[in-house]
Amino acid sequence: MMKKSPPQNLSRRSFLKLAGGTAAAAAFGGYVLPRTLGKTLRPSAVSVASAADPEPDLFFAGTDGWISLPDSPAIPPFHPDDLAPAPFNAYIFGFRNITGLDATQIAQQKNKAQHSAPLFWTQQDVPFRVKLTNLGLALRPDLVDAHTLHWHGFRNVIPFFDGEPSGSISVPIGREFTYVFNAHDPGTYMYHCHVEDVEHVHMGMTGLVFVRPAQDTNTSLYPSGKYAYNDGDGSTGFDREFAMFLSEFWAEAHWADSHIQLPEWSDYHADFAMLNGRVYPDTIAPSGSVDPFNLVHDANGDLIPTPGYERLQYQPLSSLVTCNAGERVLLRFANLGFMQAAMTTTGFKMHVVGKDATLLRGRDGTDHSYMTNTVSIGAGESAEAIFVAPPYQGPGPYDTYYLYNRAYTRSSNLSAGGAAGQMTEIHVYPAGTLGTQSVPNT
Amino acid sequence: MRKQLFKWVALGLVLMGGIAALAYTARTPIEEASAAPPDEGIICTYGPTFTLSTIDGYIGTPDDNVVYMWGYAADNSPFQHPSPVLCVNEGDTVTVILHNTLPDDVSIMFPGQENVLANGQPAQPQFDGGGNLTSLTNVATANGGSITYSFVADKPGTFLYESGTEPDVQVRMGLFGALIVRPALGADHVYNRSDSQFNPDTEFMVLLSEVDPFLNGAMERHVQRNRPFIYNMENYRPRYWLVNGRGFPDSIAPNFASWLPSQPYGALARIHPYDPVDNPIPAMARYLNVGTTEFPFHPHGNNGRVIGRDGHPLEGNSGEDLSFEKFSINLGPGQTWDIIFKWYDAEGYSASNPVPVTVPGIQNLVFGLFYSGSPYLGEQGTLPVGTSNTNACGEYYIISHNHALYQITSWGVPMTGPITYMRIDPPLPNDCP
Repeated sequence: MMKKSPPQNLSRRSFLKLAGGTAAAAAFGGYVLPRTLGKTLRPSAVSVASAADPEPDLFFAGTDGWISLPDSPAIPPFHPDDLAPAPFNAYIFGFRNITGLDATQIAQQKNKAQHSAPLFWTQQDVPFRVKLTNLGLALRPDLVDAHTLHWHGFRNVIPFFDGEPSGSISVPIGREFTYVFNAHDPGTYMYHCHVEDVEHVHMGMTGLVFVRPAQDTNTSLYPSGKYAYNDGDGSTGFDREFAMFLSEFWAEAHWADSHIQLPEWSDYHADFAMLNGRVYPDTIAPSGSVDPFNLVHDANGDLIPTPGYERLQYQPLSSLVTCNAGERVLLRFANLGFMQAAMTTTGFKMHVVGKDATLLRGRDGTDHSYMTNTVSIGAGESAEAIFVAPPYQGPGPYDTYYLYNRAYTRSSNLSAGGAAGQMTEIHVYPAGTLGTQSVPNT
Repeated sequence: MRKQLFKWVALGLVLMGGIAALAYTARTPIEEASAAPPDEGIICTYGPTFTLSTIDGYIGTPDDNVVYMWGYAADNSPFQHPSPVLCVNEGDTVTVILHNTLPDDVSIMFPGQENVLANGQPAQPQFDGGGNLTSLTNVATANGGSITYSFVADKPGTFLYESGTEPDVQVRMGLFGALIVRPALGADHVYNRSDSQFNPDTEFMVLLSEVDPFLNGAMERHVQRNRPFIYNMENYRPRYWLVNGRGFPDSIAPNFASWLPSQPYGALARIHPYDPVDNPIPAMARYLNVGTTEFPFHPHGNNGRVIGRDGHPLEGNSGEDLSFEKFSINLGPGQTWDIIFKWYDAEGYSASNPVPVTVPGIQNLVFGLFYSGSPYLGEQGTLPVGTSNTNACGEYYIISHNHALYQITSWGVPMTGPITYMRIDPPLPNDCP
């Protein structure tokens, strides 16, 4: 142990007492105080892991970029953004998965952020390494903000790995830092950059992360061997899982960042509300590359758009739910918008088994999970809801159900017909139609 | 970075000013300090009989604005915001004598209390001659009126007290406070359940509120200039959000910080790591929302266990435990949530059990104001030359904040508002001042 010895120097308080009060402190100003602190803060050697660092499980970059939201309704002068390159219309900050890319490819991802941020997951009690680099902001070279990766909801975190810049360190442009997360508590979480919190979060540096329980692969409790929690009885077992990440878009704030302005944040409102970074009906368009551990990219390292959906190149995650009749489907909700959401299904009920990465059971094991057709999720909250896909009715290849935010202003976006925003479809096929799900949201 | 620089300069100035003011007032010498109130944690005003006066005054906000407010003050004390934390014991007959110095009728509601009396008679809504509601309860009349409320505090927990007269205006003006009822089981329990025990040295309040300065300005002209109160409530829009009546960084200043003369309650939660032998009892936080929207408060690094809401333990009819952990404490307007929490060093990283990454050189990182320079609790590392830093003894600072992030601003100044920190000191004995 390299404990430092008790300080021999004056404490700040005693120093200032000696210094004689306001006048002296003011006169010495910013010079004496830091030096005094510097004495108190006598450095001790910072340890370094002895072996070379293992390869990270994932490597992310923070940068700016462009996405596509509905052109209509226009919100002049803020939306569509007049600086946006076709086919995009909205400026964002965001993360990109650059795992396995070479240095040249990585450099080319500047100004190619995506939203929502890459979905990823870890295994309970298995340390997970995420390396983060900062590519800078192509459109705002004047803003040399650092970035961090804050895993929102991670219990008993140390500041070093928390990504909160005041209590910890953050990553300047061109540098790298590796976060190590040994998650002991399964469940659904979210992550975001915590630098200039309101700005970087709202600009899009937000995504969903979840932790698989140690109970996984035990097929005696539920045939799939997939569970949301270590429930001990299979009650959180599921066949398919879908991340439903909620975020919002205030056009004025995004326009302000692309136009070197500052918004008045207390005027905040959500012009667009997104599910996995998209607005309905884009939410049901196909996914791009969403398996974070098997990243698909082009020769330049860039994301490959689905043909016909070039607009959604940097919004790769689909929210379309597909399942067979009778299957258990897990919806993992997380909300990094700023408003309360009410995610509603019609035609069947959802079983809310967990909230905020906590199985809904008391300390004595009392079950207080509940059935509902509306999951209320506040800013910074998560929830797991499981539904049993209803019997196939036909005709047609599948039955369609809807999942939408019952706070209509965030599922209509003022569009004709009122269908937009945080809304998606659930397609129920006849039993046995779809094969086993290998990656969430597919 | 430009914005960041401004932020840190501003924060530095605030802290400098604070330290300077602290020195100027030559605080109580150490040997007499036992009588002084603690720097952190809930400050109780003890009953069960309270004499409160409505009074007006001013608070400071993180953007260096000054906002006119109303409050209830105890025993002819000067104006304070929020109003005093009233602490009583289960079974007490609580008596609150209210004197009104303001030019409008005022009152106090006690949500969650039953059989409240006003001047010895059941408290009643008030109507004008035309049958229109004028107050949800009996009033102390304008310009000197008085009234006495009483009730038996028969349920332990955390409650609000607030004006019932034009509450959309008067509560927003600051006529609110916290009421804590200690259970018969003891002051170190939240409820009459053994699993609601907490360490009384680590009991904290998280009282969340909002301010529209235009409303308050209209009231200031009404009271101070004797003009009609003219404010279109359709235009109500908060520009400030506060925790315990302060915005960050004031929120982490000590209780009764001399440079915040009317905002006595700090919000820093100072604890030690959980240890099954040396520190086994959890800390406690009493959350209250006196605003008019949900406030999703997010403590980093610890999932508080919600053991009660609105003065009711979360239990079944046969005492089953219905508590749950949360990382977003999403309070609705008027709600109170009782949370027990702890933080423990899950991986036990230390100089002899180093973090499994190479720590980048100091030139390759941005250092936070509260960061010790070392990943390890109780250690201090090298900081870049010229870095401002307030870390005293290798303690950890882990943030808690409202996650409706536009609300952690102060009329345009980001990273202010309802933000505070959990300060984790190294296990005792330590070198912390």
